[in-house]
Amino acid sequence: MSGKNAKIGNAGTIDPARLHRALNPRTVAVVGDKGPNYNWITNLKEFTGKVFSVQLDEKELPGILERGVPNFRSLVDIPEDIDLVICAVPRQVTPFIMKDAVAKGVGGISMFTSGFAETGEEIGVKLQQMIYDTCAENGMPLVGPNCMGIYNRRLGVKFTGAQEQGEGGEVGIVSQSGTHGIAMTIGSQRLGVKVTRAISIGNAVVLNEADYLEYMLNDPDVRVISMYLEGVRNGRKFFEVLKKATRQKPVIIWRGGRSRAGARAVRSHTGSLASDDAIWSALVKQAGAISVDTLEDAIDTIAALVLAPATPKRNLALVAMTGGQSVAITDQFERAGFEVPELSKKSYDILGEFFVTIGGSYRNPFDASSTIGRETDNLAKILEVLANERAIDGGVAFELGSRGFEDGSERMDQMLDLLRKYRDTTGLPVVALMPDGGVMGGDAEILVRARGYVSKAGFPVYPSFQRGAAALGRAAAYWTWRKEVGARPRAVKK
Amino acid sequence: MADVIASARAAGRTLLTEVESKELLHSAGIPVTRAKLAKKAKQAEEIAEEIGYPVVLKIVSPDIAHKSDVGGVAVGIDSAKALRKAFKEMMDRVQAAAPGARIEGISVQQMATPGTEVIVGATTDPQFGPVMMFGLGGVFVEVLKDVAFRVVPLEPRDARQMVREIRGFPILEGVRGGAAADLGALESLILRVSDFMSQHPEIAELDLNPVFAYPNGALAVDARVVLTEAAS
Repeated sequence: MSGKNAKIGNAGTIDPARLHRALNPRTVAVVGDKGPNYNWITNLKEFTGKVFSVQLDEKELPGILERGVPNFRSLVDIPEDIDLVICAVPRQVTPFIMKDAVAKGVGGISMFTSGFAETGEEIGVKLQQMIYDTCAENGMPLVGPNCMGIYNRRLGVKFTGAQEQGEGGEVGIVSQSGTHGIAMTIGSQRLGVKVTRAISIGNAVVLNEADYLEYMLNDPDVRVISMYLEGVRNGRKFFEVLKKATRQKPVIIWRGGRSRAGARAVRSHTGSLASDDAIWSALVKQAGAISVDTLEDAIDTIAALVLAPATPKRNLALVAMTGGQSVAITDQFERAGFEVPELSKKSYDILGEFFVTIGGSYRNPFDASSTIGRETDNLAKILEVLANERAIDGGVAFELGSRGFEDGSERMDQMLDLLRKYRDTTGLPVVALMPDGGVMGGDAEILVRARGYVSKAGFPVYPSFQRGAAALGRAAAYWTWRKEVGARPRAVKK
Repeated sequence: MADVIASARAAGRTLLTEVESKELLHSAGIPVTRAKLAKKAKQAEEIAEEIGYPVVLKIVSPDIAHKSDVGGVAVGIDSAKALRKAFKEMMDRVQAAAPGARIEGISVQQMATPGTEVIVGATTDPQFGPVMMFGLGGVFVEVLKDVAFRVVPLEPRDARQMVREIRGFPILEGVRGGAAADLGALESLILRVSDFMSQHPEIAELDLNPVFAYPNGALAVDARVVLTEAAS
């Protein structure tokens, strides 16, 4: 979706207050929405502000009015101030809409219209330049073009119906692809994580990655930032803002695609080795961002960062339900850089009093199904031991069975209450692992339902030991980095 | 310093000679072996006196990329007599091996004691601007591409991590009785190159290859600087 051959520009004159107004609108004008679905008007069904329509095509009017939205022949005819224009007109009409938007003094524009520099056509490149110039001259914030625009949870501005409207928010998403922006939003919501806002940035002609990142950094309702990027428009600024952002909030970067700029002349050894990939991974590491390769990794990491308490500590208690699983879970967490330490003699003495050691073990990892498979008193005792155990400073990863869940959630609720109590008293992560094909898993459909139930209860849930270990590992690595840079502030050069 | 760049620009060159590259780097405080251009044998003698024997001779020609292929490198020259002989022989050899090549002279260089070979380089990324590279020299960089990158400007922690990030790092720590390299000296050299790149946007690429890493200190033995295309 990135715009190739476009004049790379960043209208550096955009006023932050005006950008804030555009991204948090109380009035929205949709220009050029069309039937049969009137997607943009429909996406605003839960919008808490006022919607207006601008459409000249007479045959679209009944559909628009039917949806309770007043229509005008031009932006300038609307009797109220407009904070955000959603522009969905054909590309050749955009110059007129831009002109009206400037005359009206709207807050900003989200431009869905495509067919600009990304096509490589001369007319597209020209029109894109016109958009840039108009915005630069007038300090007009513009999202896109060639994008899905903005999602704002609190206000109910959406670019797909499945995005939730409601209070609160934890995650900010910036995506060069509309699809991945939606997928990261929906994937997070499914885990019970509230996405504060998402921005699909398209060709990023006026506002670019660095601007959005900076905005998310300053948004108090965003705790974790997740980005999907293919390239950046202003690499130096992006690097600077990223370094600043990661010192305050975790920033996940999922990078897709490979460099466009292949054909530059290289006359040094260093130049010949400086692949796009090598530079990107160096940059992400250097700036302290979290690198992921897939959508699943991004969402898994969001869950770990939002739903587990922050800690750089890596000594875990691992609780599995069988001997084989206790080996597998240990392999995965050790591979992700965690330690699975032995417990104190005192802990072992207490555990020895009640733990069923025939077909079980409590050395850490725990092989626990015969001890906690049927009732939860023993689970309470185990978690109490772990809460008082000094060797465990990084929390618990727990294989959670869904067997019996089809008959009701009572047992699950009891277990989750105990795990929550452990988490809240110790302030340490609890990660729920509900692997496919686990012997305690029950059938597939129940397993999926049970996972959803556990994540809605506020725990990070993973469908394999490997994914859980990797996600918690990425979170721990980030908090370690934060501690390092925090503990050693930069020396001031004189 | 500006002179070196200006004269290369005036001559329409973006690739600096080794002598020019080293002069530039030396004035930026980056440890390089000293190298000076001699047009005649007599001048070479004076330079050798100043630098101190033993010295290395290298042919200087904008038309010759691989000096040793045409007999354009002579090492271990330890007296004025040996120098005069080597100078004449090199001129004859190179003219025979590369007829028509423009020869500016021969550079007389300090001969460095061998150390662990590493490469320190910089290039300009189309998105992120100046970036730096570090790796072990020879097959490690050529075949295994065991290198680490960072974006300029580097902070001390970046230089520290960069040196430790390569797989071959244990070699720098000293294996099989080999002496440990002076990591602090490598990090400081990397940081100086980072500063140099920050301050000189007219430099597009740079290779210090090899740099000798010693138990005490580090020294760039060969250097190649490439200017940006657009004269500014």
